[in-house]
Amino acid sequence: MKVEEAHSVPPFAGKVPLSLASEAAQLAEVLPHLVVEARNVAAQLQLGIHGRRRPGPGEEFWEFRPFVAGESTNRIDWRRSARDDRLYVREREWESASAHWLWIDFSASMHFGSRLAGRAKRDRAVLIGLALADLLVHAGERVGLPGRTHPMASRNIVMRLAEALLRQDRSGIDPLTMEALPESLPVKRHDHVILIGDFIMPMPLFAERIARIAHRGAKGTIVLVRDPVEEEFPFSGEFEFEALETDETWRVGEAQDIALRYRERMASINEEMRRIALKHGFGFVRHLTHRPAAETLLALAAMIGGQVLPAHSALGATP
Amino acid sequence: MIAGLSFLAPLALIALVALPAILFLLRITPPPPRRLPLPTLPLVKDILGKEREPARTPWWLLVLRLLAAAAVILAVAGPRWQPSEDLQLAPGQGPLIVLVDDGWAAAGDWPTRISRAQALIEQAASRPVQVIGTSEERPSLQPETAATALSRLLSLRPKPYFPQREPAFDTALSAGANASIVWISDGVRQEEEAPRIDRFIAAAGNRLDIIAMQPSPVLALAGLTQNAEGLEAVIRRPVATGQARQGLIRAYDDKGRLLGDTTFALAAEAREARARLALPIELVNDITRLEIADEKHAGAVHLLDSAHRRRRVALISGETTDTAQPLVSARYFVSRALQPFADLREPPRGVPDPIARALEERPDVLVLVDIGTLAGETATSITRFVENGGMLVRFAGPGLAAASDDLLPVKLRRGGRILGGALSWDKPRRLGAYPEASPFFGLAASPDIQVERQVLAEPDAELSRASWAVLEDGTPLVTGIARGKGHIVLFHVTGDTSWSTLPLSGAFVDMLRRTLLIARSAGAADAGTATTGRERLAARNTLDGFGQLGGPSPTARPVDPRFAQPGSLDHPPGFYGPAEAGLAVNALTLATAIEPIRFGAARVTALSEGTVVDFRPWLMLLAVALFVADALAVALLGGVAGALRGRGRLATRVAAMVLGLGLLPLVTPIPGHAQAQAQGSGQDLRSIRQEDIRSSLRPRLAYVITGDSRIDEASRAGLAGLSNILQQRTSISLDEPIGLDPARDELVFYSMIYWPILAGQAAPPERAIRAIDTFMKQGGTVIFDTRDAFVQRPGGMPTAETRALRAMLASLDIPALEPIPPDHVLTKTFYLLDRFVGRYAAGDTWVETLSGPRDAKTPARAGDRVSPIIITSNDLAAAWAVDRLGNPMFPLVPGEPRQREMAFRTGVNIVMYVMTGNYKADQVHVPALLERLGQ
Repeated sequence: MKVEEAHSVPPFAGKVPLSLASEAAQLAEVLPHLVVEARNVAAQLQLGIHGRRRPGPGEEFWEFRPFVAGESTNRIDWRRSARDDRLYVREREWESASAHWLWIDFSASMHFGSRLAGRAKRDRAVLIGLALADLLVHAGERVGLPGRTHPMASRNIVMRLAEALLRQDRSGIDPLTMEALPESLPVKRHDHVILIGDFIMPMPLFAERIARIAHRGAKGTIVLVRDPVEEEFPFSGEFEFEALETDETWRVGEAQDIALRYRERMASINEEMRRIALKHGFGFVRHLTHRPAAETLLALAAMIGGQVLPAHSALGATP
Repeated sequence: MIAGLSFLAPLALIALVALPAILFLLRITPPPPRRLPLPTLPLVKDILGKEREPARTPWWLLVLRLLAAAAVILAVAGPRWQPSEDLQLAPGQGPLIVLVDDGWAAAGDWPTRISRAQALIEQAASRPVQVIGTSEERPSLQPETAATALSRLLSLRPKPYFPQREPAFDTALSAGANASIVWISDGVRQEEEAPRIDRFIAAAGNRLDIIAMQPSPVLALAGLTQNAEGLEAVIRRPVATGQARQGLIRAYDDKGRLLGDTTFALAAEAREARARLALPIELVNDITRLEIADEKHAGAVHLLDSAHRRRRVALISGETTDTAQPLVSARYFVSRALQPFADLREPPRGVPDPIARALEERPDVLVLVDIGTLAGETATSITRFVENGGMLVRFAGPGLAAASDDLLPVKLRRGGRILGGALSWDKPRRLGAYPEASPFFGLAASPDIQVERQVLAEPDAELSRASWAVLEDGTPLVTGIARGKGHIVLFHVTGDTSWSTLPLSGAFVDMLRRTLLIARSAGAADAGTATTGRERLAARNTLDGFGQLGGPSPTARPVDPRFAQPGSLDHPPGFYGPAEAGLAVNALTLATAIEPIRFGAARVTALSEGTVVDFRPWLMLLAVALFVADALAVALLGGVAGALRGRGRLATRVAAMVLGLGLLPLVTPIPGHAQAQAQGSGQDLRSIRQEDIRSSLRPRLAYVITGDSRIDEASRAGLAGLSNILQQRTSISLDEPIGLDPARDELVFYSMIYWPILAGQAAPPERAIRAIDTFMKQGGTVIFDTRDAFVQRPGGMPTAETRALRAMLASLDIPALEPIPPDHVLTKTFYLLDRFVGRYAAGDTWVETLSGPRDAKTPARAGDRVSPIIITSNDLAAAWAVDRLGNPMFPLVPGEPRQREMAFRTGVNIVMYVMTGNYKADQVHVPALLERLGQ
């Protein structure tokens, strides 16, 4: 088996705390590319996903339509109806009352990328998050970063979120202290939470945090980002593995001997996550960083569309 | 403590320098594994195993390993501690007299003695010192300064004989009352020396200090005894120390080559042991030196002279010169039996007086096979020979039965005892048990020996004593008697099988061998005869005190040839006289008693030896224990499972490496056995040519490629045609014929090679000739075909082809040839042929001459082998050659009817002959052949 060397971005040794400035610079460096890429990816998918340009319970004017007999009369827009002999109803644009919250995991393990993948999991998570935000906004949803921005429906959502991320970086994040999943998110009932990360944490903790979000009445989608190396464990020979979030190192004599057990373990963890997600009505998508982002994005869009929209679109419009 | 500490191999201590390097190695091993970040580590920690090891070896493990390595290095250096319990001289002003025993017994630990003496002299720096070797004949009392005494001491060398201590004692005693006497004694004395020593000790009284090892551990090789079984070395020690000792006796020849060795074991309470030299008698004859291994003194060396050598035997037979059947004659049996053990001489046949001639050569044993009467001058000379120590062995026979001389061990009755004769036996008698007094006693009984006839001894009081071997009814079969210094032995039967089966049995050989061992050696016999001459023998090589043979000692005087005393100053041990008839003088003889000196009440300080503490085994033990501890610690540290895998294996590896490094110098014989490995195991299979494989799988005819394509094509077509015919008519199934270049191709696969000779062709290369020679010697047959029968003229000039063939055969080993005789098996192998025709019918065919007797009744003869060569001039191949359609390719000359058929039959017969050999000459086929021949 070919041994894949893993590297983390930026490369850091187990014990040396990550310099914040460099990390911020790193993200700042890659963000413009990610923004462009996110737009591209989102644009590709625009064709496949219909926007929500349709009437709905919104504030803004959408169209006037003829009054249908049996309708509530107080919906008639008299000003328009006065112009001619017919009765018109003023339709406002559909506007969802709920918001989408995008949580991207910036913990240390997300800064890992193997040569198989070519880029760090963090970058891919940001890419997916921004592209998804773009898609959602184009579909008429509001997307925000919990604790940083309020839900926005800006056409320029990608740029706005990127700026927020950058601000967050400047304000300082320490990957070593960042949590894979926050203890609580400022979400309201019917909000939708998109959790993107690798969620390297004990499963009971993961389950507890998901449950807490779910108990607030929010729905969510979990995007598990994994490096192929993490899944495949293509190592043989003697290795000393170091954890990224603690300074633990583990020495393995014959890596190939434990590869099978490792894969089984990872599969069972993934399955456990999926089970936890589904239990709370969350969607679950697994993304391997060596696969194109669009693939996952498509699945996500379909899932979010299928999961979220029926709850709100009384008109039954499905993407 | 430090003073007594010494190292056997101090150079090995240099390896201690390597300890830091080992430390470094231990610290850096194992090589650090590749480090990789693995984000999922917290999730999978539990399945990665428990191999989380400390990054570095714990310090106490390092110390453990370093200690082990140091222990190994120290052990290799061989530390030993010798506590010095040196004699403390009483302070005094008088001279210090140091008596140093310098006999052979002191040579074994000579350096110790010298160093002890040296220490003494250094102690007494200010006193006059006198060093006296006890073997000195005229020691002078001239006390010297310590420095001169030291140089005198260092110039002392052990002597290869017993020291005559008397003069030294006298000198020491005359030194005065204030002298201190120290006697560094070897503790061994001759038998008669006891009173002298006692007197000296008594006279010296309080002045005397003795340094000696008690009990003396000296081992001496006193001598050899020779009995019927061979040589036995006698090992003695002065005192039974209560410790059993084992040792090795080594035998060397005159070039110093080791011939063999044997072990001896001294029982705890024994002072003497014997070791049998179990060597073939031929080797025993070559022994010139025996020594006790690892005893480095002259007393442990025994030199052998010709007295132990092979006996010289003269064999004289009464048989006529023109014996019809020499291989069943008595002379043959006896000489074959004696040959392995004796130097057998037979006077040339036709010498007028063979016995006198034989005696001139001074044999040890004279064997007379059926010589009847010995009379006159001959009898006198034989009598003198026997009385001077020679041995006369006689075999009975018709001549002896009628003899009357006194050169017999017993009186004989007139007339023998014959089965069915006057003193009748109803059936052949068998050999009985050997009498106990007989030298043959102990030989394996051979009751299968039958005696049908023998000469009888007159009953006599002496007869039973003289009987060496008897029949089961007690009749003596072999008698022997000592006469003068020699022996006379009579075998009452003939040396051949006409009277008994004794000469056919192994007992015959054994008996003769034992008889030979009894015979005295030529040297002793010479000594006896040379009563008038008595040339004294000058020393050739003498031993030094350490038992090394060197040039003659300056004190050595010529020795009487009968000298049999232990070596002395005048006659130090060594070889005297010429090499072939020399005399060996030894430090000890069997008669010499080796006695311990009893020091009585004198003060005795131990010569410090035996108290040596050798640390080697303890250090090795410590090292092993440390390694075991290390292995255990590693196992415990890493868990047993972990120790069995990665780390533990590494630790074992490190330990094994250190151990191996440490033990390397101990395991001294490290020949480059890697080099000794075979340089490749035979030929590569792929290098075997395809054609050779084919040839080895199915027989085929072969022809030699001449280079002339026409001839080669004819050969090929001819052999192909013959192969076809053989296939049709016989059971032989042949592959296609093959053309060969004998210089290049392997011939071993073929049984018959057809070689057409071309006129004017260059002689084949040497390699080809050798290949063909080998081919013929291995049983192959070459058919040389000169193809010139057409142009040959009887009695005319040889043709060009014939000349070419002759030139070629000149360098080959060719047997005698003859034209195929009419009864040759070649004429009968398949078809009955009278001619061997080919394209021509006129030529003769030559084969190897048959050697067997020609018998008119036998229709077919064959030699022991197939003729390796067949020469024809009839151009056989051309007659056999057919094209693809089966049409003959060449016309025949003269083209008689059936000539082609006869040519094919010739070929069939030749191939059958080559393949089946002389099988058709077997008598089994005679009736069928006779019937076919119409007789």
